[in-house]
Amino acid sequence: MTIDATMVGRSYAAAESYQVGREKIREFADAIGDRNPAYRGDDAIAPPTFAFMVGSRALEELLNDEELGLRLDRIVHGAQKFSYTRPIKAGDAIAATATITTVRKAGPVEVIMYETTLTTVDGEPIATATSTLSHNRADA
Amino acid sequence: MTEVGTELPPLTVTLRREDLVRYAGASGDFNPIHWNDRMAAALGLPGVIAHGMLTMASAVRVVTDWIDDPADLVEYGVRFTKPVVVPDDDKGASVTFTAKVDKVADGLAEIDITALAGEEKVLGRARAVVRVR
Repeated sequence: MTIDATMVGRSYAAAESYQVGREKIREFADAIGDRNPAYRGDDAIAPPTFAFMVGSRALEELLNDEELGLRLDRIVHGAQKFSYTRPIKAGDAIAATATITTVRKAGPVEVIMYETTLTTVDGEPIATATSTLSHNRADA
Repeated sequence: MTEVGTELPPLTVTLRREDLVRYAGASGDFNPIHWNDRMAAALGLPGVIAHGMLTMASAVRVVTDWIDDPADLVEYGVRFTKPVVVPDDDKGASVTFTAKVDKVADGLAEIDITALAGEEKVLGRARAVVRVR
């Protein structure tokens, strides 16, 4: 099957909560070359785009929905936006849910928008991420 | 007091293949277009490209280096308009980020970010909103 507009509204929760550790925050900050002291130590907060990695656990579930027929190696990231209620911090246990909000087709290319909400496992809001992906089905 | 028109200190980052591999490992994004020339070409790309999220992470450093506390970032969005092609050499690709305060109202400042790789704008509508005092 292939993704189409009738699949707008489908929601995918990450299989497990994401346990944020200070060493993972440090590793991520190092990988983006960011030496900001806020991202180090016991009271570390995470760099802003760390939220995408946490949300990607929900994206994995979306990509695993065989009815959508999506392949990671045919996807290019078109746009990304975050709204933060508060920063992610070491010690957080985060639940992520991704919901398809838009599907547009242009020839073999499908433009897919989805919104990912990040909350603590107790339901405290942390951030919302809005993503736009282009999936190219040419030669698929 | 933050004023409209204030230019933030610019930042230039150099991305090499090694940086893409490191980011792939740290982020868990192992999409082969970020490390495999063959797969990048199969998707019609001019070469291996940087993760959009790595460019996005680099761009916001202009803002988070400028504010006292990165926790004051309330909104951040970009469009990935052009890929950052990262050659398999020691030089890599350089991207320069500049930013300017566009609007200040209700304790929030809206900042426009520009990202240039050579002459090409690699991000579009890159905008951060921060709390200001």
